[in-house]
Amino acid sequence: MDERPVLELRGITKRFPGIVANDSVSLDLRKGEVHALLGENGAGKSTLMNVLYGLYRPDEGEILINGKAVEIGSTKSAIENGVGMVHQHFMLIPVMTVAENIVLATEPVKDGILLDYAAAESRVRDLSQRFGLAVDPRAFVRDITVGQQQRVEILKALYRGADILVLDEPTAVLTPQEAKELFTIIRSLTEQGKSIIFITHKLNEVIAIADRITVLRRGKLVETLPGEGATEEGLARLMVGREVLLDVAKPPATPGESLLTIEDLHVFDDRGIEKVRGVSFEVRGGEIVGIAGVDGNGQTELIDAIAGLMRASSGKVVIAGQDVTGDSCKDCLDAGLGHIPEDRQRRGLVLDFSLAENLALHDYDSPPASRLGWLFPKRLVERATRLLKDFDVRGGSPQTRAGGLSGGNQQKVVLAREIERNPQVLIAAQPTRGLDVGAIEFVHRRLVGERDEGRAILLVSLELDEILSLSDRILVMYEGEIVGEFAPGVTEEELGVAMTGGGRREAA
Amino acid sequence: MSTPEDNKPGNGEEVESPSTDPDYAPSVAAKIDVWSKAGGLFVPLLTTLLAFFIGGLVVLVTTGKNPITTYQEIFKGAGLNWFFHVGSYEATLPFSDTKVWFPWNTGSVPDDQVSFLAGLNLQQTLIIWIPLVLTGLAVAFAFRCGMFNIGGQGQYLVGAIMAVWVGSSLPGLPSALHIIVAAAAGALVGAAYAGIAGLLKALVGTHEVISTIMLNWIAIWTGVFLFGLGGPLQNSNPGGESVPVSNDILDESKLKVFWGEPLLQGLHLGFLIAISGLVVYWITLNRTTLGYEVRAVGFSPEAARYGGISVARNYFLAMAISGTFAGLAGAVDILGWQFRINTNDVLTTSIGFVGIAVALLGRNTAIGVGLAGLLFAALVTGTSTRNLDPEIFRPELASNLTLLIQGLVVLFVGADVIILSLFNLRKRRRQAPTVPRVESTDV
Amino acid sequence: MSSLVGRLPRGPRGLAWLGILIGLTAFWVALPPLKLRTPLVPAVIGLVALALGIYAVSQGVRRLGWGAVIAGIGGIGLGYLATRSSVDHLDQVIVWSALIAAMLRFATPLAFAAMGGIFSERSGVVNIGLEGMMLTGAFFGILAADKLNSWILGLVCAALAGGLMALIHAFFAIQLRADQIVGGTAINFLALGITGYLFIDVYGGQGTPTDVSEIPDVHLAFLSDWYFLGPIFGQLNLMIWLAFVTVLVSWIVLFKTPVGLRIRAVGEHPRAAETVGIPVYATRYAAVVLSGVLAALGGAYLSIGFVNSFNQNMTVGKGFIALAAVIFGNWRPWGAAAAALLFGFSSALAQRLPAYSESAAVLFQALPYVLTLIAVAGVIGRSIPPAAVGRPYRKQ
Repeated sequence: MDERPVLELRGITKRFPGIVANDSVSLDLRKGEVHALLGENGAGKSTLMNVLYGLYRPDEGEILINGKAVEIGSTKSAIENGVGMVHQHFMLIPVMTVAENIVLATEPVKDGILLDYAAAESRVRDLSQRFGLAVDPRAFVRDITVGQQQRVEILKALYRGADILVLDEPTAVLTPQEAKELFTIIRSLTEQGKSIIFITHKLNEVIAIADRITVLRRGKLVETLPGEGATEEGLARLMVGREVLLDVAKPPATPGESLLTIEDLHVFDDRGIEKVRGVSFEVRGGEIVGIAGVDGNGQTELIDAIAGLMRASSGKVVIAGQDVTGDSCKDCLDAGLGHIPEDRQRRGLVLDFSLAENLALHDYDSPPASRLGWLFPKRLVERATRLLKDFDVRGGSPQTRAGGLSGGNQQKVVLAREIERNPQVLIAAQPTRGLDVGAIEFVHRRLVGERDEGRAILLVSLELDEILSLSDRILVMYEGEIVGEFAPGVTEEELGVAMTGGGRREAA
Repeated sequence: MSTPEDNKPGNGEEVESPSTDPDYAPSVAAKIDVWSKAGGLFVPLLTTLLAFFIGGLVVLVTTGKNPITTYQEIFKGAGLNWFFHVGSYEATLPFSDTKVWFPWNTGSVPDDQVSFLAGLNLQQTLIIWIPLVLTGLAVAFAFRCGMFNIGGQGQYLVGAIMAVWVGSSLPGLPSALHIIVAAAAGALVGAAYAGIAGLLKALVGTHEVISTIMLNWIAIWTGVFLFGLGGPLQNSNPGGESVPVSNDILDESKLKVFWGEPLLQGLHLGFLIAISGLVVYWITLNRTTLGYEVRAVGFSPEAARYGGISVARNYFLAMAISGTFAGLAGAVDILGWQFRINTNDVLTTSIGFVGIAVALLGRNTAIGVGLAGLLFAALVTGTSTRNLDPEIFRPELASNLTLLIQGLVVLFVGADVIILSLFNLRKRRRQAPTVPRVESTDV
Repeated sequence: MSSLVGRLPRGPRGLAWLGILIGLTAFWVALPPLKLRTPLVPAVIGLVALALGIYAVSQGVRRLGWGAVIAGIGGIGLGYLATRSSVDHLDQVIVWSALIAAMLRFATPLAFAAMGGIFSERSGVVNIGLEGMMLTGAFFGILAADKLNSWILGLVCAALAGGLMALIHAFFAIQLRADQIVGGTAINFLALGITGYLFIDVYGGQGTPTDVSEIPDVHLAFLSDWYFLGPIFGQLNLMIWLAFVTVLVSWIVLFKTPVGLRIRAVGEHPRAAETVGIPVYATRYAAVVLSGVLAALGGAYLSIGFVNSFNQNMTVGKGFIALAAVIFGNWRPWGAAAAALLFGFSSALAQRLPAYSESAAVLFQALPYVLTLIAVAGVIGRSIPPAAVGRPYRKQ
């Protein structure tokens, strides 16, 4: 392996108001190397790569390519400097063919003006053979699998002469089989002298593929270490760090009868990919069950299926003794479900509604909010006044537009609405995402309080701290399946291994 | 404290992503509401002034006439000067002989020529105001549910056609009943007609703009067919075979005139219908669960769905209600002052389109629609051949000036959302910088 | 030749096309020149078409299959009506060569504007201002042709004026990211106002003069004696031939050149286009302005090529029919051109049918809109617009 770095990032600092997203991060990439960039959500991986790809300008630091300092001010100049990026969300045009997508903006031309489709297809074919990326140049992108689409993205970068490939969470959307194929492709790429930066938070993959590993945490570089000899436990510790657990005063749980039962649930997303594969579990009254997992492993679809927002293809959902499988969202709510959605801005609140109106989102059509279709805004305001006080919502009166509140206060409004309905089952999806410490504490205390009221609480979170400090039982979800159940005493390392596919081997 | 969450889109700003997430882009309604709250009365006024300013330039450059004088004449022609002639007059309460004191001349003193004439002109303006308000409400209601009902024209026409048909048939019906039946028929047909577009959107996702444009022209040509030569609803007047016009509606089905002379097209009871339209609009949106649902869907279909609201049902209902307003506009025009409809009217009327301008300028609020309706009604009346002194400015020119000003208003109104948000954005950036989202998950 | 045959649709698609043709034949046999007088023949032929259509639908070829079904039923019905109609009437109305020539005349302005609409919408900008841009072209075309006494300059000025109108639309839609529907509505108002105002200001009550320089017809002397083709193609207006060329060029540009690929990329997924270095704004500007130019040429044909005069609001919805053609033709040049011909044919028929019924003829004017409504309703397959159409794009 050639030891000369093809790319050096020196002391890259990128500040956003209030946050240092990258704090003097240095990184070098050798020719023919797979360099994994590891870190949690928000650790600064993507910012660093966006700097490299010309989407952000760094506040400090420099970029050297093949030993020469370069200025990367746009995507175009990144491409010209041989940097290619495979975005997590593909930049492909579904209604066009593979070849069209690949040659776009650098099309071969014949007769002076015409697009030379034959040349485009043969060039794509050549490239795909050379690097072992089997795709049909004539196929439409919409008709090929996600794995193949990813190959098209890689080919797009290679076609533009990329020597440095940045793969952003490349396996997030792939099946295990497709991921294996990707690894083969990556090896064939490095053998031919391409260098790869591989962004991920799946530990097992890192160990499987990386020559070197750089771990980022909260914008800072923690360590760069060789891939050989790295262990999942060690990496998990570096990635998560030793942090003080948020302390939640929590009496021991006294679980009662089962209020939420899920049996062998299967859910497909709108692209026809099976996101939930045969999940079964139950949540009893008076306990908090936490679902841990890396983003995109089927948690969202699981919740949507329980809440009636997405149709399950098979399986059963029982809320408080009532079978609500396939029922509408309204029926699920009526059966006794409270749902704190993971995207409060898009789903949890109508941002242009007042707080009073938002608090009535589930029961605007029944007394006392309304009678026979006639709305009583005064009653909405009265109730809102009380709830805003109870839940300590600051910065707004009942008439304030929900969009005008801070994130923490918005979440308190959602919480107030869902708890006020006195639900038997409460789903809390990412309930503290983006909140400040005070608000987090409030939400946590409230959730524990509701547990002690005897509600069944299903907590879904990407934050291990949160899962560990709140849950009475912990389920780990990986690739649409529950791969393990743990008691709250489990260590972060153990959970981390299970969440990143390590637990699966044990289970198997 | 600012967090990355605060900077998420979905709040009055467009989302670029084309294919992944259609619902994420805030609806037209959401945009317009943000802007209405931010800009208050200031922006529409500015928009109007700018449009009038450019219109004035056109007048100056092309004819060399003084734009101010021209506008003054149009103002007078619209009868708006009536309001400035405050005095001590008597007014007869409608449909009675009781006289009460009134600060304006309602015609009881014909020898006060200026105010008397102004009153006549104002009656004309208000006659136009009625359908403009109703079609404006039609467009506005759909807007509040996140849809652009560009089909006010077609719904207005089918309402008018229905009203003329019912109004000219069913002899012997008591007057009040006949009026109610004819108006209700017009409103219902309008609702059904717009309902087609709503249904298509709810069931198969057909964009309402496309379907309502098509429905407009289908209504127009159907109208021409019905009343044209040999058409099934062409008039049965003696010697009328060569005139492409409908029968006149029966006298019983005509709306009573309560201000001015019936023979000189006085102001009819449709005025009260328009006023009630405004009230009903406000109440439906703000005081009923239906309005709650409609607004929720308009602001955020995704949040509405999460809240248990059927988005599809509301698309249909909102379009149907929207069509009710437009259909009623057509019916009231027929029953109030037109009494018949000819094929040329069918082809050239633009009431439904002006309704778009009314709704946009009025920011989809009841009061706004009322005021914007008055502005455009005054423009239409003030530039009509009957009311504009050709010595000052040729009415044919002026009526086109009206169209020009309407176009400019719509153009600027469409953009001031953006100008305003840019302005706000800059202000926000200066005051409290927020964090751009760091992760590349925004697409 | 063999390659041409090879490219013909096969399987259920081919059968569906065959069904459509047979369905039309069912009607045709009852018309001049054959004028069969028994309804039995159209019925039998129509049933064949119907069967083919049903088979195609069952094979999943929905759009074409339903087309064949409708053609079959229509063939039977219309064929029956024709056999019941007097031969005199038939001979008077159905003069094929005249009908086709009229169809071409009516379709030409639609084709120009539709090509414009395709460029704009393919780049991601909805253009319901086509009507206004056409009207602008119609007026400025005749104004320049009159004042400068040259139809060429008339066309140039029409194109410029239409391009300017489109530029306004583009500025608001692209730069200011205003709602594109609102912008298009505004353009229609503006065009009505501007052209109406200037028309009155310049020409007053008399209307446009009769001696305006007109776009010439193309006389093809060698064709004039040919059977059937002579009366159709022997003397067509230059703009009709240009419309053919425009459709051809539009198709080549959009689907056979890098430029077209980029325009379509911008309209489907602007962010993807930008990440590979395509300037999204510039592309959209160019496409929208081009749409104005083309729509205006269509309008100019109306005023100085077809009726040789101008009237206020003389386009009466032609821009919207063009929009319908764009949608009906699935945002493809040949599809839209075919739709324009179909809509043109219905206008041509509407012009001649008064021999039967003055009023019913008018209904043919509504046909384009009805067909398009059915097309967008998804009953017979869906019209799928470019993915990013109507969505303002913010540069990264």
